[in-house]
Amino acid sequence: MSQWAIAWRLARRELDLRFRGLRLLLVCLFLGVGALAAIGSLTQAIDRELASRGQVILGGDIEVGVSQRRVEPTERTALMALGVMSETLRMQATMVTGPVAAPQIVPTQLKAVDGRYPLYGRLRLADGRQVGAPDARTVWIAPALAERARVGKGDSVRLGSAAFVVGGLIADEPDRLGEGFTLGPVAIVSIDGMARTGLIQPGSLYESRYRVALAGGRSPDAAIDRFKAAFPEGGWEAKTRDRAAPGASRFVERMGQFLALVALAALVIAGIGVGNGVSSYLAARRGGIATLKVLGATSVVIARLYLIQIGLVAAIGIAAGLLAGIAAVPAVVALAGDVLPVAPAFSIEVVPLLLAATYGLLIALAFTVRPLADAGSVPAAGLLRGTLDTRSAPLRRTLPWVAAAAGAVVVLAVATADQPWLTAGFLAAVAGVLLVLATIGWAITRGAAMLPRPRRPLLRLALAALHRPGARTGTLVVALGLGLTLFVLLAAIQTSIEANIARSVPARAPSLFALDVPPERAAEFRRTITGVEPRASVATVPAMRGTITGYGTTRVADLETLPEGAWALRGERGLTYSETLPAGSSLTAGRWWPRDYVGPPLVSIDERLAETLDLKLGDPIAFTLLGVERTARIASFRRIDWDTLGFNFVMVFSPNAIRDAPHNLAATVDLPPGRESAVMRALLAPFPSVSVIEVRGVIGQVRDIVTQMGAAISAATLVAVLAGIAVLIGAIAAAREVRTYDSVILRTLGATRAQVLGAQAIEYAALSIALALVALALGLGGAWYVVAVVFGFDWLPDYGRVAATLAIGITTIMVIGLAGAWPMLSARPSQALRQL
Amino acid sequence: MVIHAAGVTLTLGREDTATTILRGIDLDIARGSSVALLGPSGSGKSSLMAVLSGLERATAGVVEVDGLDFGRLGEDALARARRGRIGIVLQAFHLLPTMTARENVAVPMELAGIADAFARADAELAAVGLGHRTHHYPAQLSGGEQQRVAIARALGSRPAIVFADEPTGNLDTATGAAVLDMLFERQAEAGVTLLVITHDAALAKRCDRVVELADGRIVADRSR
Repeated sequence: MSQWAIAWRLARRELDLRFRGLRLLLVCLFLGVGALAAIGSLTQAIDRELASRGQVILGGDIEVGVSQRRVEPTERTALMALGVMSETLRMQATMVTGPVAAPQIVPTQLKAVDGRYPLYGRLRLADGRQVGAPDARTVWIAPALAERARVGKGDSVRLGSAAFVVGGLIADEPDRLGEGFTLGPVAIVSIDGMARTGLIQPGSLYESRYRVALAGGRSPDAAIDRFKAAFPEGGWEAKTRDRAAPGASRFVERMGQFLALVALAALVIAGIGVGNGVSSYLAARRGGIATLKVLGATSVVIARLYLIQIGLVAAIGIAAGLLAGIAAVPAVVALAGDVLPVAPAFSIEVVPLLLAATYGLLIALAFTVRPLADAGSVPAAGLLRGTLDTRSAPLRRTLPWVAAAAGAVVVLAVATADQPWLTAGFLAAVAGVLLVLATIGWAITRGAAMLPRPRRPLLRLALAALHRPGARTGTLVVALGLGLTLFVLLAAIQTSIEANIARSVPARAPSLFALDVPPERAAEFRRTITGVEPRASVATVPAMRGTITGYGTTRVADLETLPEGAWALRGERGLTYSETLPAGSSLTAGRWWPRDYVGPPLVSIDERLAETLDLKLGDPIAFTLLGVERTARIASFRRIDWDTLGFNFVMVFSPNAIRDAPHNLAATVDLPPGRESAVMRALLAPFPSVSVIEVRGVIGQVRDIVTQMGAAISAATLVAVLAGIAVLIGAIAAAREVRTYDSVILRTLGATRAQVLGAQAIEYAALSIALALVALALGLGGAWYVVAVVFGFDWLPDYGRVAATLAIGITTIMVIGLAGAWPMLSARPSQALRQL
Repeated sequence: MVIHAAGVTLTLGREDTATTILRGIDLDIARGSSVALLGPSGSGKSSLMAVLSGLERATAGVVEVDGLDFGRLGEDALARARRGRIGIVLQAFHLLPTMTARENVAVPMELAGIADAFARADAELAAVGLGHRTHHYPAQLSGGEQQRVAIARALGSRPAIVFADEPTGNLDTATGAAVLDMLFERQAEAGVTLLVITHDAALAKRCDRVVELADGRIVADRSR
C-alpha cells in the first residue's frame, strides 16, 4: 500500500465530521474567499454588462462630440457616409414651472434629439409607450425632475424662452449611463424644440454629439481614426461602443480593484487564523502523532495524513466561500439599486471565482506548511518521558514552500491588477504590518524574560506566561495587534469620510453658479442681482470649452496611454482668459502678462498638471477651440485652491489668445443665506437663456456619491475586521490550553477564581496597552493612505472616536480572553484535575 | 542475539542543561527471552528502552536490533525499522482515541504494508479476549481492556521484540495480573523477545532475566 493510501485511510478515521478543532480554519477561509469571490464576481458582472450593452449605452457604434458648435456640412456628410447618423445636443438649463409670481426653478440637463434617436435600445415612457423624439412643443422629463418641479404629464413648463407641455415621464433612457455625470435630471426635446428655446447661441456652452450605427460591419476604431484624420482640427471627443461609459467603467474598475485588495488583505489576516487553528489542532493531537510514530509511521505519513484532513476542511471552507460569493452578487445588486451603474443579471463569473479559490489555497498552504512540518517532528520518545514539547522543523524544509506560496499570491495579485504598483505597495504594506507585529511579539517575549520577577505570585505568573516555553505570545501579539489596528483603521476611515461629507459647503463656496451670461449684458446681469440683494457679490469669467491636442513636442493623439494623473488630456476642458491673475490662484513660476498684452498668445498652467506632463516655461500648448487648432506658450505655473468651489481652470490664456472666439460668461454669485430663490426669480425674465444652479444641489449629489463610496469601503473593511476577530478568538483559544493547567493547579493550591482570572486579565491588559500605541500608528497610517491617497479625500479623522473605538477594542479582547477561561474555572478542582 | 548494545550513552538537553541519562550500557538479549528492567525512578529504565526500541538515538555506543544498526538510522528510518520488528506497550495505553479497537490494532500492520491487517487485528483481539469489542472506541473500554488492545496492537504484526513500559502501572491489582498473564501467554505463543520495565518484583521474577539499573548504569544482571 502506498504512503498516500495509508495516510488517506488514517485521515478518514481521524477526521471529526463536526470539524471540531478546525472550525477556525473553516470560518477564516470562508470569510476571506467569500469576500474575494463576491467583489470579483460583482466587478466582472458589471464590466461585462457595460461591455455587452455598449451600443445601447453609447447610443451608437461610435460617437464623436464637440463643444459650442455643431458639425460643418462636410463633417456631417462624412459621418453620414459611415452609416446611420443621429444628432444629439446637450446643455445645462433651468426648467421653470408654476405662476410667474412664484416660479419653481429647477436645474435640468436639456437634451435635444433628432428623428433617428435612439439608434439602439428603446426610449420608454412611464405609461408604457415606446417613443422617439417628441414634437417641437413637447418635452419628456425624468421622474426626479417631475418631482422637484412638481409637474406631471400635461403640465406646462418653460425652457429658455419657449413653453412646452410635459408629454410623459421617462422610464428608460437607453443612453443615460453614456451621458456621464450631469447636474440635474434630464429633459428631452426635439432639435426643433431646442431651437425654440433660444438657448443655443454663438458662444453658448453646449455639446453636440453624433452617434453612428456603422454600416457594413466597419470597425469602430478604424471609422473614428479615418474621420479624425479627415478633420484633424475638429477638437473631437470620440468614443466607441467598447468603451461606452468610460467614466463608469473606470470607477467600477478602480473601486473593484481597491475592494479586492481589501478582501485580499482580509484573506491574509484570515491566513493567520488558519495557521493558528491548524497549530492548535495539531498540538492537541501530539499524543496521537507520537503514538503513530511509535507504531512505525514516518514524519512523511504524519504530514500527509494531516495535510489530507486540513486540505479537505480547507476545500470545504473555500467552496462555502465561493457559494457565498456567488449568492452575494444578486443580493448586493438588489440592495444597491441605482447606486450601481448597471444591474447585471445573475451569472457565475468563472474567472473571479477561480482566482478567489486559488488565493484561498495559496494562503492556506502558506500558513499551514509550518505547523504540518512541526507535527512531523513530534518525538516518539516523548510518550515514554511524558513530555510532548514540539520540536520545530528545520526552516529550510518549510521556508521554500511558504516563500513559493506567498510569492504566487503577490505575482497573481500584481498580474491581475489594474494598477500593479498600487497593488504591490498595498501588499507590501500588509506584509510590513505583520512583520512589525511579529517583531514586537519577539521583543515583548525577550523583554518579559529579562524583567525582574515580581514578588506577588499572580503578577509573576502573568509575566512568566509571556515568555515560558511554549508560550504563544508572538501569535497573540500579532492577533491582538491586528485586531486593534483594524478597529483603529475602520474608525479613522469612517470618521474621515463622514467629516468630508459634513463639510458639504466650504465657507468660501458661492451660493449660485450661472452659465451662458452674454458678455455684452454682464453689467445688466450684475445690476439685476444687486437690485434684489445689495449684499451680493458677483464674479464673472469667460467660459469656453476645448481640447488639449499637444504639449511640448508631444501630440496627444500619438499617446497610447495617458500619463497617470493627466486627466486634463482626457476630453474637453474649460478654457478661459484673464488680464489679471485669477482669485484662488497663486503664481509659483514665471510671470503674469501685463494688461493689454498684445504679443504671442500665452497660457498659465496648473502646477500639478505641469509636473505630471513635465512641462517647462516656454513650452508650447496646442488646443482646439470651436474646431480650430491654436497654440500658446507657457508663461507661468499656478497653484489653484480647488476648495473654494469657484471657477478654477487648469489653463488660463492671455486675452489675445482666445478672446476672438464666440463665447459667453460664467458667473459665481455669493449671497447671504436664504436669498438664492429671490435672485433666481429675478434673473428669469431678463435672462431666460442663463442657467442658474444652486451650489447646495451640486454638493448634495456629490455627498450622495461620497456616502455610497464610504459605505462600500466600510463594508469591505468590515470583512477584514471580522477576519481579525476570528483570528483573535483563535489565538486566545490556543493560548487558553496552556493556561488551563496553571489555573487548575492554582485552584488546587488555594487560589480563588477571581485571583486566577486576575492573573489572566493582567496579562491581556498588559499586552493590549502595549499594542495600543502600535495599533494607533499602524491603523491611522493605513487609514490615511486609503482616505487621502487612494480616494483623494481630506484627512479628517475624529481622534476622539478613534481613541474610543480603540478602548472598546481592548475591552472586547479582555472579555473574549476571560470568557474563554470561565468553563475551566467554574468546575470543582477535583473534577478539573481529572480532565487534565 | 536479537539485541546487542555496547557502550551506549544517552545525553539529553543542550549546553548547560545537558543531562547524561545512560552511561556506557552494555547489554545483549537473546532471541525469545524475557527480560525485566528494574530500578528506581530516574535510573534510566525508560530511556534505555527508548534507545533499544529506536524511539531515541543514543549519543554514543552501538545499538543493533534484529540485525539492524540503529545508530546509522535517522528518525524516519527508525520508524520504518520498528514496523513489523518491534511492538511497544506503554503504561498509559496510548490508543488512538478516534479509532476503534480493531482499527488501533490494524494501524501498525497497515503501516508495515500487511495486506490482511484487519483480519489479523480481529484474530489478535480475539486472542486477548476482546473479540466482542472490536468496534468499540477506547473511551468505551475499561483500563484493562484498553491495555489488552495495546497488547494486541503490539503483537499483531508478529514482531521480533515487544517492549512493555510499566504495562500494569495504571491498572488495579487484579486487572494488572490478568493483563500480565495475557502478555506472557501471548509472548510464549508467538516466541517473541519481551523486555519489560517494572517496579514489581513479582513481575520481574516471571522473566528469564532481571537487569537492574541505577544512575544510568547496569548494577545487576541475574538470570533465572
